[in-house]
Amino acid sequence: MHGQTNISAGITMRTLFMAAALALGIGVTGLAAPSQASAQEVQITGPLAGQPAVRHMRTYRANRFNLMPTVGYTLQDEFARALFVGLEANYHFLDWLGVGIWAAYNPADIDTDLTSQISTTGQTTDRNRLSLPQASNFSHQIGHIRWAVSAHLIFVPLRGKLSLFQSIFVDTDLYIFAGIAIWGIEERAGIADGSAEQQSCATADSMTGQSSGACVQTQLARASRVAPAPIFGLGLSLYANSWFGISLEWRASVFSWNPSGTDESGHDQHGQPGSGFPDHVLDGTDSRTTFTHMVQLGLIFNLPPEQSTTE
Amino acid sequence: MKKARIALLAAHVLAGVWLVAGAAAAQDMSFSLDETDGSSDTMTDSGDTPDSVASDSGDVIGDLAGTGPAADTTAGRDTPEHVDEAREEIYAVQQIYALRLNRVEISPSYSATLNDPFISHNGIGLGLNYWFTNVLAVGANFIWYQGLENDSDINFQVRRSTRLAVPVNQYQLGAHLAFTYVPIYGKFAMFNEFIFQYDLYVLGGVGIMRTRPLPVVDPEVRSFDFDIRVAFNVGIGLRVFITRWLAIFAEIRDYMYLEQLESLDVALGSARADSSTWTQSSPAFINNVTTHLGLTFFLPFDFEYRLPR
Repeated sequence: MHGQTNISAGITMRTLFMAAALALGIGVTGLAAPSQASAQEVQITGPLAGQPAVRHMRTYRANRFNLMPTVGYTLQDEFARALFVGLEANYHFLDWLGVGIWAAYNPADIDTDLTSQISTTGQTTDRNRLSLPQASNFSHQIGHIRWAVSAHLIFVPLRGKLSLFQSIFVDTDLYIFAGIAIWGIEERAGIADGSAEQQSCATADSMTGQSSGACVQTQLARASRVAPAPIFGLGLSLYANSWFGISLEWRASVFSWNPSGTDESGHDQHGQPGSGFPDHVLDGTDSRTTFTHMVQLGLIFNLPPEQSTTE
Repeated sequence: MKKARIALLAAHVLAGVWLVAGAAAAQDMSFSLDETDGSSDTMTDSGDTPDSVASDSGDVIGDLAGTGPAADTTAGRDTPEHVDEAREEIYAVQQIYALRLNRVEISPSYSATLNDPFISHNGIGLGLNYWFTNVLAVGANFIWYQGLENDSDINFQVRRSTRLAVPVNQYQLGAHLAFTYVPIYGKFAMFNEFIFQYDLYVLGGVGIMRTRPLPVVDPEVRSFDFDIRVAFNVGIGLRVFITRWLAIFAEIRDYMYLEQLESLDVALGSARADSSTWTQSSPAFINNVTTHLGLTFFLPFDFEYRLPR
């Protein structure tokens, strides 16, 4: 049953793959076609000619759920890295296609070295007072990703096995996924034009020469919101047996937020940045689009535990 | 006494024959289709195979010939040509799809920095490896960076909003030697239709980089020349073979070196123009984690494969 499904699907996917491979070959590599058959087409003229590439393949995904507790870590963050713990649940209609959801929570942020440097050596003047009321509090004004949920479609184009030092053999597959995510973001609270908060950061306290207490409070005020965004990634599964494995995954998303909590926008009367900066307002225009990506390690629990094989 | 010796010799001969037969049976089983999925179907001696289990008999070539299970047990095994064909196709050790031994690998690639949010050290590279065993190679790679690097907006924004200059550096080129080892290899099936061989390799070595600080603290006065740094590198990569001589690869490599950074302090007076005050007193240890994407060409294109039997 599974084998028949896979074979019919394989014919369709073969057509798609051939078209994609042709476009890729012409457009990207520009290389002349090799003189021999490519993509390791089975060059067999004996009794194996025309036979399926794989027989009796263990199907780990078709008509099964998998649950994955995960631990993830964001990459290339400027100010703070997020450590996510989460749970992913997937169901696969076919061995190469499935749907799933992922939810993760960030219980701990790890400040980067840049945040530490700004906290110790950042300088505040009247010009940047709203951006940095007090350098030592910079770690409290930066944005954080608190949680994330996503729904995604999983596509498993590659299925295989690997040998480790020619002694350990494990089944593996490589999958890609794409979907919609909602990111729970915590940022520095906004400061409106003409507000008391804005006025408090206009000048230094006349007594101390530093930012006033009210201005420092704007640095500590927080606001939460959600940011819907596309999410995509790829992963490698390694199966220890029919019901357990591990997964190494990379996932990425693109959304707009203000990770530094600083006033970045402002333009002059001609709409150009420069003389109009800063605009002494903290709002959505200070946000910038970031490529947020992370690596994630998961434990795979397949349900039901029993698996089937192809013909 | 003589009878006892004859009996002992006969026992040894019988034991030897039994052992040889047992070993042959074990090797026959290693080619069974059933073994691939670990099923518990019983494989019996071919002479005693009942019709009901004919398709599970372990006669791989017979099963794959497409004549059906019933035909396999009768016509398939009794046909001399078929047996000859099976002897031609089955070997004790299967061929490795793309043999690396004694081949040269040329690898053009594009690289980008993974761990520096302030400046992306993009580069184009060319690698050269010689495989002196099938899993071990020695080689060199060259990367050109100058003119391809990107200074990110975050660098400017941090300077503007926090009055903090983050010292950054510019790369010109890198040249590195490395040993490559392949501990993991395998194959992927795509939609049960195409098979791709791949290997996962680790590498490590030493080389040089030419870098210089990019003046951001006092750019009106300071300027720097490129200088040579000794750099160590370790990495891990994945190579997927498209043909026996062409592969695509993705690699993550950490280039580690001691970098001279621009000083955050500006000397006053005439000392401001003194170049000895432009750099920090002690170098910083830099991890330049880089991803490489590229193609690999194996030369010669063809290779002779000696099949063990």
